[in-house]
Amino acid sequence: MREQAALKDLAGGVAVLAIAGLYYWATGDIAESTLSDEVGASGLPRILAFALAGLGLILTARAVMAGALSPAHEPAAKSPAPETDDETSTLPRALGFLAFGVAYVCLVSFIGYLPAIALLIGAVALYEGAPRNWKTLVIAAGGALLYWGIFVKILGVHQPSGLFF
Amino acid sequence: MHSLGIAFDLLFGSPIILYSIIGLTWGIVGGSLPGISASITMALLLPFTYGMAPVQAIVMLACTYIGAEYGGSIPAILIRTPGTNSAAATVIDGYEMKRQGRAGEALGISLWSGVIGSLFGLLMLVVMTEPLSWVALAFKPTSYFALGILGLSVIASMTNGSLLKGLAAAVVGLMIATVGTDPISGVTRFTFGSPELLGGVEPVLIMIGVFAVSELMMQSGSKGLGGIGEQVRVRLPSLSMMNRLKRSQFIGCLLGTFEGLTPGGGGSIAAFLSYNEARRWSKEPEKFGKGSEEGVAAPETANNTVASAALIPLLSFGIPSSNSTAVLLGGLLIHGLLPGPRLFEQNADVVVGLYLGSFIATLAQILVGILLLPFCVWLVNRPRAYLAGFILALILSGIFTLNTSLFDLGIALGMGLVGYLMRRAGYPFLPLILGVVLGHMVESSYRRSLLLSGGDHTIFLEDPIAVGLLIASTIFVTLSLVREFRDARNAKLKDVHA
Repeated sequence: MREQAALKDLAGGVAVLAIAGLYYWATGDIAESTLSDEVGASGLPRILAFALAGLGLILTARAVMAGALSPAHEPAAKSPAPETDDETSTLPRALGFLAFGVAYVCLVSFIGYLPAIALLIGAVALYEGAPRNWKTLVIAAGGALLYWGIFVKILGVHQPSGLFF
Repeated sequence: MHSLGIAFDLLFGSPIILYSIIGLTWGIVGGSLPGISASITMALLLPFTYGMAPVQAIVMLACTYIGAEYGGSIPAILIRTPGTNSAAATVIDGYEMKRQGRAGEALGISLWSGVIGSLFGLLMLVVMTEPLSWVALAFKPTSYFALGILGLSVIASMTNGSLLKGLAAAVVGLMIATVGTDPISGVTRFTFGSPELLGGVEPVLIMIGVFAVSELMMQSGSKGLGGIGEQVRVRLPSLSMMNRLKRSQFIGCLLGTFEGLTPGGGGSIAAFLSYNEARRWSKEPEKFGKGSEEGVAAPETANNTVASAALIPLLSFGIPSSNSTAVLLGGLLIHGLLPGPRLFEQNADVVVGLYLGSFIATLAQILVGILLLPFCVWLVNRPRAYLAGFILALILSGIFTLNTSLFDLGIALGMGLVGYLMRRAGYPFLPLILGVVLGHMVESSYRRSLLLSGGDHTIFLEDPIAVGLLIASTIFVTLSLVREFRDARNAKLKDVHA
């Protein structure tokens, strides 16, 4: 259990280091201006990159000292996964959920708001365990009409239009 | 007298009552949904406030906060699942009362105590905010820089045991704040040629992403919470009961105000502290945990007091002390409103409207709370699968209304992923949000100070306000570090003994 937490911290520390590295690399693209002050447009970003790298190093070192890389956690890793909220099983599930949002962004310009939002509600409901029957279909269509009514008709807010709507 | 005139104008010349009630209603409904906290409920509302007049938008957001604090107690009492974090202490005696067939009575006490707490918090807000804000008139760029640092030091108490993780999250927030056009030289930074990023990343997109989208991702695949399966009616306490609840409500008011003023305090800490103190001072402490009315009244008074008292540091200095006030700060910034004395001078209608709207919402809470209960019960009974679809659709539709840009949707979804990974790795959110909302102030005031001094850093030591604020920040962080080391040592000792 403790090793698992340390592994998680190690992954977090490495991710922080990676963000710091990428951010520092991107500061190279900041142009220097003649209007610039002593600190400059890239001054604070560079300080932030170093600060984050320092924090990332400490977090990584702390995770290693807590046993993230020790072989002691290997037998635990081989034991059957607990049935409770397990990260490795929920990460793909969460990413799957997010994929519906991404799919909506990609599709809405082609098929239009009304069908896209109906598809989104229906697909997410099915993904989350709603029964595959006419009721889900009706709820998705009704929900889309409700949102279309609220946003487009009542609030008068423009929503993406596609080939059909 | 001038404020009174504005209040009358707003009351009779604008639909402020309507906006208060809408905000309150939305807050109660959102708060009653388990997993949807007050801050998420407010963040979901943010896109709708874009096209509104500033006073209407801020009133709606503040009233949503008030409503969500009561709404959170509904599932806490009925299905033992707090709708908001701050309703967690209400579960203890509220659910016990429900098991004894006294759910309506528990809901009535929660509602009544919420009204008492909100009124007290509102009184504190009106009395304390303006005098405090005048201190900010003496502020120079150096003071604003130090104030930003003090705001960021709030992180120290919001890190749930890992100051380093909190600091890392704050630095990432500050990094996000550097995206766009440089405030001094006008040079573009981290835009990667995208015109959508020239104005920077809007804090509202980050808030919706890390609060709402990541919460939906966390809940994906979880089972429903089970239905309530019975008809419940709110039963307001009798006069003798109101009299009995006075002591615990007074404790809730005091601790709620203290926690609201304290950076990093928040409703949940206030609620648990009040519960403990109410038990200590109660004439019937043995009833606590077994369906005590005072056990419901104390935490509900406290978390509602916090909802108003937390606005004091926000409006006076622009320092958000909780997730919900960070969202409200986002609302103020969206409408170009900067907290501090100028807000009271130049946008007095917003401040008076906020007081008035909160007062209206607090009084209306009793009626709206009673009327909305059947709908909230119906909503809590809906299958989670459909709710997830509807909430994601609401988020995506709402975000598009901000700038009618699909790019914004991408940012919010991306921040949802960031929020999800942060939750999983145990990184707190508030530091990231604080970094984003305070980043601009910290950078521009730091650089303006150095421009004034010709690059001499001792300018920060010549300003007594800046020195005071920087010392306060140092004390704050040091105390948190000491606490963190002490907790880590205690945990180690526990492990050794086990």
